[in-house]
Amino acid sequence: MIEVKDITKKFGRKQVLRGVTFTAAKGEITCLIGINGVGKTTILNAIMALTPINSGQILIDGAKINKKSYEKITFIPDAITMLPQMTIGQSMQFMQDFYESWNQERATELLGFFKLKPEEKISSLSKGNTAKVNLLLGLALDVDYLLMDEPFSGIDIFSREQIAEVFTSHLVEDRGVIITTHEINDIEHLIDQVILLDDGIVVKAFNSEEIRENEGKSVVDVMREVYQQ
Amino acid sequence: MNRYVKLVNFELGRFMKVYIALIGITIISQLAAVIVVSKSYLNNANQAMNVDHMAIETFIEQYGRMSFNDVTNSIFFIGPIALCIVTLLIYSLFIWYRDWFGKNTFIYRLLMLPTARLNVYLAKASAIFLFVLGLVGLQILLLPLERMILQWMVPIDLRWDLSINEMIRNFDRLGIMLPYSIAEFAIHYGIGFMAVIVLFTIIMFERCYRLKGILLGIGYGALALIVFFLPVFVQEFMLYNYFYPEELFMLMLVTGLLVTAGSIWMSNHLLTRKIRV
Amino acid sequence: MSVSFNKRDPVYIQVVRQFKEKIATGTFEPGQEIPSRRELANQLKINPNTAQRAYKEMEEEGLIYTEGNNPSRITKDEHVLAAVRGELLEEAVDSFITSIRRIQVPFDELVEVMKEKYQRQSEEEGGK
Repeated sequence: MIEVKDITKKFGRKQVLRGVTFTAAKGEITCLIGINGVGKTTILNAIMALTPINSGQILIDGAKINKKSYEKITFIPDAITMLPQMTIGQSMQFMQDFYESWNQERATELLGFFKLKPEEKISSLSKGNTAKVNLLLGLALDVDYLLMDEPFSGIDIFSREQIAEVFTSHLVEDRGVIITTHEINDIEHLIDQVILLDDGIVVKAFNSEEIRENEGKSVVDVMREVYQQ
Repeated sequence: MNRYVKLVNFELGRFMKVYIALIGITIISQLAAVIVVSKSYLNNANQAMNVDHMAIETFIEQYGRMSFNDVTNSIFFIGPIALCIVTLLIYSLFIWYRDWFGKNTFIYRLLMLPTARLNVYLAKASAIFLFVLGLVGLQILLLPLERMILQWMVPIDLRWDLSINEMIRNFDRLGIMLPYSIAEFAIHYGIGFMAVIVLFTIIMFERCYRLKGILLGIGYGALALIVFFLPVFVQEFMLYNYFYPEELFMLMLVTGLLVTAGSIWMSNHLLTRKIRV
Repeated sequence: MSVSFNKRDPVYIQVVRQFKEKIATGTFEPGQEIPSRRELANQLKINPNTAQRAYKEMEEEGLIYTEGNNPSRITKDEHVLAAVRGELLEEAVDSFITSIRRIQVPFDELVEVMKEKYQRQSEEEGGK
């Protein structure tokens, strides 16, 4: 379980996070929603110790993040994390060289699923294919937790469908997934927990299936209520 | 192979193209220096002896014998050395900043490697250091070759042969690069390594605190400088030649190690707790 | 087996309903093997936990059964199967009557129109 406890974060004078608290369980897809600039990416960066927080605490399975954690939890930012001059094959080799949790079999499977060629250079890839390579590099790690920042933003509809398919497959099964998005429509049926963020706090956290069952509302209905007050 | 070694290897690879270009430029330019300087000396000699009918002794009296010092003073000889130094200095900054800027976000990957972040840092420092040593090694290999070419072009009665040691000693700039005792070598490159580590620490300050970090970094750099030279200050202004040179040396060894270790500790702290992508 | 879901009803209930329709119409035969939870999630593009929930619900209602580690199957229990058909019919009729009531059509007229339409549609379908 990933526990985010009352974290705050200031950028200069701007208070981006004012005490954010939520948990993301293993085997569930947790979705951080909010308009742009609300601090979604900052939260993911903070979980991965890629940005310091001013106060609060983040625990992964009860412990603070350390170097070994990166074999258990990984982050797929919204831009590629490899050098543009590298080929897809070289990027995969790099991952294999450095991560014990790298699963070459799964990587090859993903390569086929996304129809990517290992000899292609990252700099020559389309936006959709770059996003797929980025996803591949994260998904092929045998990690318990997977963080994804806006995996659907700015890419074509067919790539989006392919990526959405990943969420319903064995590739994320039994893992804890946190994704951020400002566009819920594509994935409303795919997510378990919804965390609505606004003005640096969690304004509402709920289970999407429960809100449909108990209140007869869609996730978008709830967002409308919360954000248009 | 452990991850530090893999990282060093990776960092070396990232700069290899430029580095090989530097090596190529150095070889071509320095060989050209030998040839051009020898040729022009020979032309002079030809002119003097064949056209002006000067005796060889008179020519040598007037112009002197040619020695390797004439080559090392040529811009084609010093130029590539300066180019290498400047390039590596710039790359000491760029080796970090290239991971933050640009379309990719390689710094995410580096910081998320399942290894101590200090390994990333030390790998970059090691890469810079190896690049320097490589170029120095190249120069050591080039000197005898260049001397051979000179001896082959210029007849024995017109030249003044120098040993490699003399070649280096006669040229101050080479003297720093290629000290002739192992101890001196260790001192020069120890100081060089310390300088790289201090520079990296300043970069870490900037990367953690951005604008404010530049000030903190400059402050840190000044502090490092003061600590390192503390024995000299004490010697000069407080105790007036109290230490023997050996004692002063030992003290500076201690402060140098202190600055290096302190910088590595500080960088490690910043990398693990304060860094932001 | 791709279907679009509405966004306001729980997805697992919509999945269960689809199963019931398929059982009632005979697309799923008694004792037929059904996809695993993960296969279903992948086919329907839904969250695996939701598929899991739907299967749990169907198991509780006796619509499907699982023996040991074998794949789940549609029930062979005649009572349950008949009940499914009855339940769907009842639901459909209920919602039909609700909308008919709104326009206040006399019962006799309604039966007449229904007969005619139902027959014509069946003929059209049969003719294809």
